[in-house]
Amino acid sequence: MPNEATNSANASLDPITLEVLWTRLISTVDEAAAALVRTSFSTVVRDSHDFSCVITDASGRSLVQATDSIPSFIATLPATIKHFLDVYPADQLEPGDVLITNDIWMGTGHLPDISVGKPIFHNGKLVGFAGSTAHAPDIGGKIRSPEPREVFEEGFQIPIMKLMKAGEVDETFMRLLRQNVRAPDEVVGDLYAQLTALDLMERRVGDVMTQYELADLAPLASEIQDRSEKAMRAAIRELPDGTYTNEMPTDGLDVPVTLKVAVTIDGDEVRADYTGSSPQVGKAINCAMCYTYAMTVYAVKCAAAPDLPNNEGSVAPISAFAPERTIVNPLFPASGGSRALIGHFLPALIFGALAQVVPDRIMAGTGSPLWCINLAGVKPNGKPFANLFFFNGGMGATHRTDGQNCLSWPSNISSTPTEVIEQLSPMRIHRRGFRADSGGKGRYRGGLGQEVEFEFLNETPAALAMLAERTKTSAPGIAGGEAGALGKLEINGVDVDPKAQHIVKQGDRLILATPGGGGYGNVVDRDDSDASRDKSLGYAGE
Amino acid sequence: MAGTYSLGIDIGGTFTDIVAYDQATGQIVKAKELTTPDDPSRGVIIGIRNLLGADEAGAEDFSRMVHATTLFTNAIITREGAKTGMLTTAGFRDAVEIGRERKFELYDVFISKPEPLVPRNLRAEVPERIGPDGEVLTPIDLDALRREVDGLVAQGVESLAVVFLHCYANAAHEDAAIEAITAEHPDLFVSASHDVSPEIREYERGSTTSANAYVKPLAQRYLDNLVAEAGNLGIKAPFFMMLSNGGLTHIEEAKSRPVLLLESGPAAGALVAAHFGGAAGEKNILAFDMGGTTAKLAMVEDGHPHVSYSFEAAREKRFVVGSGLPMNISTIELIEIGAGGGSIAHVDAMGLLKVGPRSAGSEPGPVCYGRGGTEPTVTDADLLLGYLNPGFFAGGSMQIDRDAASTAMAPLASALGLSVSAVAWGIHDVVNENMASAARVHIAEQGHDVRAFTLLATGGAGPVHVYYVARKLGLKRLICPASAGVASALGLLIAPARVDRTGTVAKRFSEMDWPALEAQYKALEADASIVIEATGFDPSAANVTRLADMRFAGQGFEVVLELPAGPYDESSAAALQAAFEEVYRETFARTPPDVEPEIINIRVSMKADVPGVEVTADAAGVVTDPKAGSRPAYFPENGEYVETTVYNRNAMTPGYRFEGPAIVEESESTLILGPGAQARVDDQLNLIVDLPEED
Repeated sequence: MPNEATNSANASLDPITLEVLWTRLISTVDEAAAALVRTSFSTVVRDSHDFSCVITDASGRSLVQATDSIPSFIATLPATIKHFLDVYPADQLEPGDVLITNDIWMGTGHLPDISVGKPIFHNGKLVGFAGSTAHAPDIGGKIRSPEPREVFEEGFQIPIMKLMKAGEVDETFMRLLRQNVRAPDEVVGDLYAQLTALDLMERRVGDVMTQYELADLAPLASEIQDRSEKAMRAAIRELPDGTYTNEMPTDGLDVPVTLKVAVTIDGDEVRADYTGSSPQVGKAINCAMCYTYAMTVYAVKCAAAPDLPNNEGSVAPISAFAPERTIVNPLFPASGGSRALIGHFLPALIFGALAQVVPDRIMAGTGSPLWCINLAGVKPNGKPFANLFFFNGGMGATHRTDGQNCLSWPSNISSTPTEVIEQLSPMRIHRRGFRADSGGKGRYRGGLGQEVEFEFLNETPAALAMLAERTKTSAPGIAGGEAGALGKLEINGVDVDPKAQHIVKQGDRLILATPGGGGYGNVVDRDDSDASRDKSLGYAGE
Repeated sequence: MAGTYSLGIDIGGTFTDIVAYDQATGQIVKAKELTTPDDPSRGVIIGIRNLLGADEAGAEDFSRMVHATTLFTNAIITREGAKTGMLTTAGFRDAVEIGRERKFELYDVFISKPEPLVPRNLRAEVPERIGPDGEVLTPIDLDALRREVDGLVAQGVESLAVVFLHCYANAAHEDAAIEAITAEHPDLFVSASHDVSPEIREYERGSTTSANAYVKPLAQRYLDNLVAEAGNLGIKAPFFMMLSNGGLTHIEEAKSRPVLLLESGPAAGALVAAHFGGAAGEKNILAFDMGGTTAKLAMVEDGHPHVSYSFEAAREKRFVVGSGLPMNISTIELIEIGAGGGSIAHVDAMGLLKVGPRSAGSEPGPVCYGRGGTEPTVTDADLLLGYLNPGFFAGGSMQIDRDAASTAMAPLASALGLSVSAVAWGIHDVVNENMASAARVHIAEQGHDVRAFTLLATGGAGPVHVYYVARKLGLKRLICPASAGVASALGLLIAPARVDRTGTVAKRFSEMDWPALEAQYKALEADASIVIEATGFDPSAANVTRLADMRFAGQGFEVVLELPAGPYDESSAAALQAAFEEVYRETFARTPPDVEPEIINIRVSMKADVPGVEVTADAAGVVTDPKAGSRPAYFPENGEYVETTVYNRNAMTPGYRFEGPAIVEESESTLILGPGAQARVDDQLNLIVDLPEED
């Protein structure tokens, strides 16, 4: 007989009711994400979508994540919820509580990401959590650059604590937070936007449990997780067994950093072992294990099962190991504000290993990580300002497509329009366009980077920090494709250290050129029509 | 024909619908012709000829013509617009191609951004620069501009978009450019970005302006041709075009800003839903149109379709947000879901039943059509559930095969471990959930509770699914109007003349120059009046609304809200702030502490209602028993098939009442009602259905 579970409390979940409930929960997190974006105060959340929303079961295992989430948070946020539970077990939680942290190791690897979680109670019982991570516009400390040696220099640290207790905001905490950040209105405004998202998820989950007479989320959670896990395992089984290694230098600091991985495909599981990667450093490019794991999961999912939904089950067959005190598993009190400068290479590192067996499922090296500039100073009216803007390089080519020009990867952070940058900050942009010939040559060409020229208009000197990589080591090609062009940073015509903080004054000019992506296959095999199109469009020089 | 007629013309992808409405009797005459894509005006003229009859008399009886078309949207989707060039500020020709640098699909390494409508080799740069406050930083070099334009013309460019930075703050350079271009090349089509879309954010504005330039030559040729052909038939009535926002405008405005017409067809459909809903006494309507491939939902609040201020054209992936070209135009807000009668059911990698977005369309169509379809679809499921009549499909014009549907369903049943009938119900239920979820997210994004809405179903599959979609949404009432088949063309006749104008302010309250704000509103209103007047209405009788895109200073997304009436001065700040905070709280529950509002864009909406249009459906007039037998149909409340009364909708007269479970058949569709539903027929032959309370 057709599913009676829809109308009956005790029946098990048939595939149709499950599909209906699952769709409902996904629409709930998407709805929460939409509310978060629309109410946020920072370009980081609204223009750059640097956030995530999740619903977990009572043990912190994720059921659904917002479609709009960025790759790192998809894996870190459920782990953060579990850390919340370690500190505040179920018996210490009540309706209206909201937990918070920005701990590097239990959060996302750097302090600006504030994670919050709200227990969801149904008929007096803890049934799950609504969670959200969002990148705050500022977190105090030294402005974001790789310079800090220890986490203490990086800003305001929030241990796992209750931001709200039974519906009441902890005003002491709020006052401390406001005192410690440069843009308190924006930071607190974004935190409220996160609370709006949590409330919405809590309410919707309650509605669906009432409507379907669910006493608990657990049966639904295990169905979702088990089925996703099975599907991921089936997808992994399609990859050839074996251990595939890759090694990749990055610009690093004074000396290059080496990233090393051995990817083992063992039946229906994937393990990434980062043994041999460089030791942790006294600069903020250390990439905490939570982030290393997130990037590992992202790469495997792209290659094995890009269409699977995100939840605890779909990542269960994927594991990562890195020895402690390495740059991919640093320990306290390491700094990590710029961990993307290492973390964003990890998917390309894994792709490089998988290229040996499944070159048709991956792409060449990309112009990642995302670049950004961070300008902080004082306005003529005496008020401090802090601006953060992102710029992306070219993506890598694949076995059947040229790399996309200027597209965020592996993260998914958009840029801010020139007109908005000029409205918000004391900068003028003189040009912003593609860098011809910056994509690695190949049968399929790497994506182009972009070149942007800024002039600083601030009347008093301001601090400029950047996140930039691939100014010394280029994005590699695969299958005979050539590497993409290096990125570059110049102030007043002089190359500058992209990992140091610079003081810029009125009239100074900065040229920022993001790296190109790597090519795929030998350039002699490139179609004439593709080559002439590149010429006529000016993607390639004469 | 005799009398005074209004003529509605809706050109769709397959059919051109023409409706003539007799203003004296309320009667409607309709014609359906195949669309003639090579010259769409031909299909229109054939249709009008058919309406006029053999002697082609009565053309002078038309008092006005209203037209909607998907031609311009289709030209963008199929990339069949004009060869278009672009002039940008020196250093920024790539803005329209770099875009916002964000992936619309996270895990797809083969992703492809939508190609800009103007290729890079046809985008030229001009030395000039305006700053963010409108100050001239570098004067425009018109000699350089002329050289670049000559170069583009030499490459065969027929239409040109001019997109300079910060032109929303100062349009002088764009104006100078247009003047210089038209002086040298009077035949070149030109579109200035401050004219098409005077809003901050160069990518979105550039994309909108490119699209306008891209379809402008087509719009001009086609509309001139249509007007001339209509004139040859003796039609002297004024000619209006439906805008994407559901308003009307005159033909010159349509030729100058054709990008405003991209969604004109669907807009007319939403207007009709608002009209039927209003006639049935319902002000808050969720218009639900389910056809063969997609379902569309539009929200009607307080009698007015919801208008959105952005749109995506020509998506790379039809249902993936962010995969299209952004357009800064006001459109009737519609969401499109890959859920239709032809949507194909399958079992995914997780062993779950999924429906759509892949569709069997009309060719080969559902398995039961017997035209070569092999994969089970929503229509096949609806047939097996007893909802469709194998002997009376599409008014009996088509035989459908129940056994074939059942056979095609068997592999799904075995993969899921369920019976064929359970799978059929599952398909119905899952596709309903997809639509209900989309509706729920959509309405929540507007800050409303879906339960305050009434669902109004149109389209071939809409009435089959409307009941259980309404149940999922917890609604109390649904409406199924009569003669929904030509709904869009009818919508054209009830549309008001409408002009929307917008400008950028970008100031927080503490920095606001209130007299300047008032002057800016006045200027937009004056501009809108000109269009209303040219459309044949009296601007002084028009309804003027002032709106603003507001946010708390520092936020990046604005809430568009209606403001208290002007004029504004310093003392208006409190009232405007209160209006904003109220809307904000309605939408997002809480307001953040200690921050002031700012106004990013201002908008003026001017509307002049069409006088005295009262559409009445054809009177049935046949008094027979609407009960036309019975057949088994599946209802989840019963958990089994039950013998269900079949009603003939055409035999129903106003005041007729009946109860669910029920099957109501008419030529274009079938309405399914579950147990406990209370239905009645109103004066305009709408079926009004009250749903039973949740148990």
